Amino acid sequence: MRGPHSFVRSYFPVNWSLFFGELVSGLTLGSIYALIALGYTMVYGILKLLNFAHGDVYMVGAFIGFFVLQWLGGPLTTAVTGWLAIAIMFVVAMVGCGALGVGIEIFAYRPLRNAPRIAPLISALGVSIFLQNSALLLWGPQFRSYDTFDLIGVKSYHIGPNFFISNIQIFTIAASIALMAALTWLVARTRTGKAMRATSFDREAAEMMGIRVDRVISFTFFVGSALAAAGGVMFGIVFGQIFSLMGFTAGLKGFTAAVVGGIGSIPGAMLGGFLIGLTEAFATGYLPGGSTYANLYVFALLIAMFLVRPSGLLGSPVIQKV
Amino acid sequence: MVGPNLGGGVPPGPGVVDQPRVGVDEWVANVDERREAQRGLTGLVRRGWERVPPAGRLVLLLGPFAVFPFVTNEGNLFRYGLITVIYALLAIGLNVVVGFAGLLDLGYVAFFGFGAYLYGIMASGHSGHHLQAEIAIPIAVVVTALVGLLLGLTSWRLLGDYLAIVTLFFLQAFVIFVNNANGGPSDFAYPFVGRVDLTGGANGLDQIDPLNFFGYHITTTKGYYFYTLISLALLMTMLYFVNKSRTGRAWRALREDPLAAEVMSMPVNRLKLLAFMFGAATAGFTGTIFGAVQSGAFPGDYDVGLLITIYAIVILGGLGSIGGVVIGALVVNGAPELLRSSSNARFLFYGVILLALLVAIRPWYRLVVVLLGTVAFGAIVHAVVVAAWPRGTAGHVQGGGAFGRALDHWVLIPTHVDRIAGWAYFVLILAALVLTLVRGWWRTIALIPTLYLASFVWENKLIEQVSGATRLILLGALLVVIMNVRPAGIFGTSRVEIV
Amino acid sequence: MALLELRDVSRAFGGLQVVNGLDLEVGEGEVVSVIGPNGAGKTTVFNLITGIFRPDSGEIVFEGNTVSGLAPHTITTRGIARTFQTLRLFLNMTVLENVMVATYGHTRASIVESMLQLPRSRREDKEVRKLAEEKLAFFGQRLMGYRWDQPAYSLSYANRRRLEIARAMATGARLLLLDEPAAGMNPVETHEMTELIGKLRDDGGYTILVIEHDMHVVEGISDRVVALDYGVKIAEGSFDEVATNPRVEEAYLGLRKAQTK
Repeated sequence: MRGPHSFVRSYFPVNWSLFFGELVSGLTLGSIYALIALGYTMVYGILKLLNFAHGDVYMVGAFIGFFVLQWLGGPLTTAVTGWLAIAIMFVVAMVGCGALGVGIEIFAYRPLRNAPRIAPLISALGVSIFLQNSALLLWGPQFRSYDTFDLIGVKSYHIGPNFFISNIQIFTIAASIALMAALTWLVARTRTGKAMRATSFDREAAEMMGIRVDRVISFTFFVGSALAAAGGVMFGIVFGQIFSLMGFTAGLKGFTAAVVGGIGSIPGAMLGGFLIGLTEAFATGYLPGGSTYANLYVFALLIAMFLVRPSGLLGSPVIQKV
Repeated sequence: MVGPNLGGGVPPGPGVVDQPRVGVDEWVANVDERREAQRGLTGLVRRGWERVPPAGRLVLLLGPFAVFPFVTNEGNLFRYGLITVIYALLAIGLNVVVGFAGLLDLGYVAFFGFGAYLYGIMASGHSGHHLQAEIAIPIAVVVTALVGLLLGLTSWRLLGDYLAIVTLFFLQAFVIFVNNANGGPSDFAYPFVGRVDLTGGANGLDQIDPLNFFGYHITTTKGYYFYTLISLALLMTMLYFVNKSRTGRAWRALREDPLAAEVMSMPVNRLKLLAFMFGAATAGFTGTIFGAVQSGAFPGDYDVGLLITIYAIVILGGLGSIGGVVIGALVVNGAPELLRSSSNARFLFYGVILLALLVAIRPWYRLVVVLLGTVAFGAIVHAVVVAAWPRGTAGHVQGGGAFGRALDHWVLIPTHVDRIAGWAYFVLILAALVLTLVRGWWRTIALIPTLYLASFVWENKLIEQVSGATRLILLGALLVVIMNVRPAGIFGTSRVEIV
Repeated sequence: MALLELRDVSRAFGGLQVVNGLDLEVGEGEVVSVIGPNGAGKTTVFNLITGIFRPDSGEIVFEGNTVSGLAPHTITTRGIARTFQTLRLFLNMTVLENVMVATYGHTRASIVESMLQLPRSRREDKEVRKLAEEKLAFFGQRLMGYRWDQPAYSLSYANRRRLEIARAMATGARLLLLDEPAAGMNPVETHEMTELIGKLRDDGGYTILVIEHDMHVVEGISDRVVALDYGVKIAEGSFDEVATNPRVEEAYLGLRKAQTK
């Protein structure tokens, strides 16, 4: 039985190594969620569409990474060095999923641009279940392992007595921050980024100004899906195991992150991702029933966010035109 | 005089009003004629159906169901009859939420689970309580409705898409909860009572009592079937009346334009909650039946797969259509059940493809080109492969029959097919994508190898898992295709969004 | 006593003061027109009165009771109903249903009563149908007969405007707020609308507050005209007084032109 002493201990973190452990794993997880959230938020910003299939694109990305690794000779006998193998996995998965995202958009969403709002949502649900079960059919329900230990070897660095961080965690956090920085630059500084912002602001007006809206939307799907694929490969590297149903929960959390940060806002998605990751990690470490019910705590955070600030942390409230 | 509208001219006097006016109402006057002009079988069926009085429609829809138990055996009654009726009940509840009130509730299946689990907690060997059904069912329904109320509260502040994700997360939370709330070491310790085994965890809540009304036990499948069927008939009738009443009208207004509804004196938030509660109560009620029928409640039964199934039913039947869901349930439950035997599944697969081609391809000579072309293409490919790579045709199709044997001489069935079939599946999806992008004769020509490829993938891969992944793949594809072709659903009347 | 009274009502969106310290009175049985250039805040005034937006400050009083801060459906049930500038009919419901649905606020049958077709529900349904037919009959042959069971989207533009008015009438309101009732109509239809508004007041007993750009309509219907610019009342009085008011000319035609005149 837990006594009052343990209660105090678990709610007032005196156990610094547990605290830092959860902090680092929260940031790692958070960077993956942030990558997923970016895809949601970009697509939502531009089409006002909730792309349910996004989580499954992430899953496909993880599997593409896995198969590339096999094709390179497997983790133990890779044809190239470990880090180069990882780079190749990232590139192939991102390009493959980008193409998948574009295909989904053309096939399932584009014909529904002017349909009632509920139609593309249901279409998205259909795509999601299609991808998920296609994966189940082709790759089976079993877990696949990236065997990261064999691939690159895991080193752990100590900073002070309580702070541990592994090279994989550093890599994940750094790589995702780099990707986010690249995206921010893309949206803020390039012509394409300007076109994306214009399209999300007013699609019809953008079209009349000579922006090729279809192309911009395709590009958005490409980038969003590629980021999700990067998240999928990272998940494989960090946690080792991937499976065909992993997209559903991850998609939910990614969306939650996007909403918490303020949907449509790119920095919001990043912030939301880290927040969700940290919530999950600290809930696992500190809250009752945490390891089992961490997802429930994330859900609670989502609800709380809706009640307190429906437009999210960095989102701007929408004024309805009457 | 200064005014913003100086060019209007002098308004004509009252005498001019009765003249025929240009461009005012011809279109309207013609609506009926155009409706009558809807030709062919569909038009005939629709018009005939509209002439039948409502009570007659109910009899026409459910009459065959009432006869069904007397012409079939126990197993078929359960699979084709009872499950279909249960699906129809569920779909009707969902239709109120999605079809009438326009709220995208993706947590709906959780309420179904609530019903089953609550009934199980009140009446099962697992929990040790054995309440009578006439007490347990109302409690389960009311509690489920209250949970629906709580979830519905989020709809006050959320727009459609946000609501969808919150409810989907709610379903996920429900599944996590019932999977773990077995009082085990990883579970919550509740205030006051400590750890309790509520749901039996991943193994499910077993030994649920059969329904027991005032001492009368329902024990047979037939009994459950009629109990469910009568509930369905009652619910459809009541919903028919609600649809015509102030509440039903207000729900539909809410779906059309929430803001205008609010300004036209309808308390939108209360109406949303009402729809949510109505849906939840229906699902909860259905859950009590399902729990009792299965004599258990298992976490895996209440997941996204079922959600998709119910959505497919509602969409097939037409959003907002009460009778349509019965047909939707029949199709969505019946078809995959037929899929269970691989030779039946084959007939269904090729039959649906043929039907789709018949409907989609005009004029007729293109259809002939496609069909003959596909047969010839297959024969040539088969002949080439026999000569060049004998292993490519060494296998045999699963399931026999004359059709199967004929296919053996047409489709490639390689031994050790797994990897090839995987790629073929992938290529098939690509081919389907390409098909949507090309037009005219190119599409007709591209269709030929695509069809052959589809048949190859079907025989080598999809047929292995007809009751599992394949079923959901087809349902998923069906949802996408229907949304593309007819967003109002097959049996629904198409709606105008903005004119 | 005035039926509707706005006392020093203000509302801003972001930094933009859309309605600024507005006082407005509408007496029982009056037809008051609100005019002003685009963006003057006219529709916002309607949104404030009907409760879609809350005023930042000030008070809106209807029949002696404060209604600002109430939910829109409550305000409508109290007796203020409106039409929309951009038509917002329930397009996929029939013409008759569009009118019947607006009686929600003063019918009482619960969903259970409707399900079981208990007496109150049946009686109310009959009454509501009769009421809706009466309201539609107000428009002569325009919305009669076979049109009742047609979906609203099949109506012509002018008939949609009429149906919106019928729907507002069915809420049981005493005060109708009409937002550009003649917009997009041809001269014949515009003329009919002018007559209709007069008939609404004289035969229907409604008090009417109307936003209108067509000065012929305004001239034809108004007991009083209120001119707004930048959310401020710049003139009030009879049509002639307001139309010749230099500030109104200035608002419509711009400063320079008014000076050179």
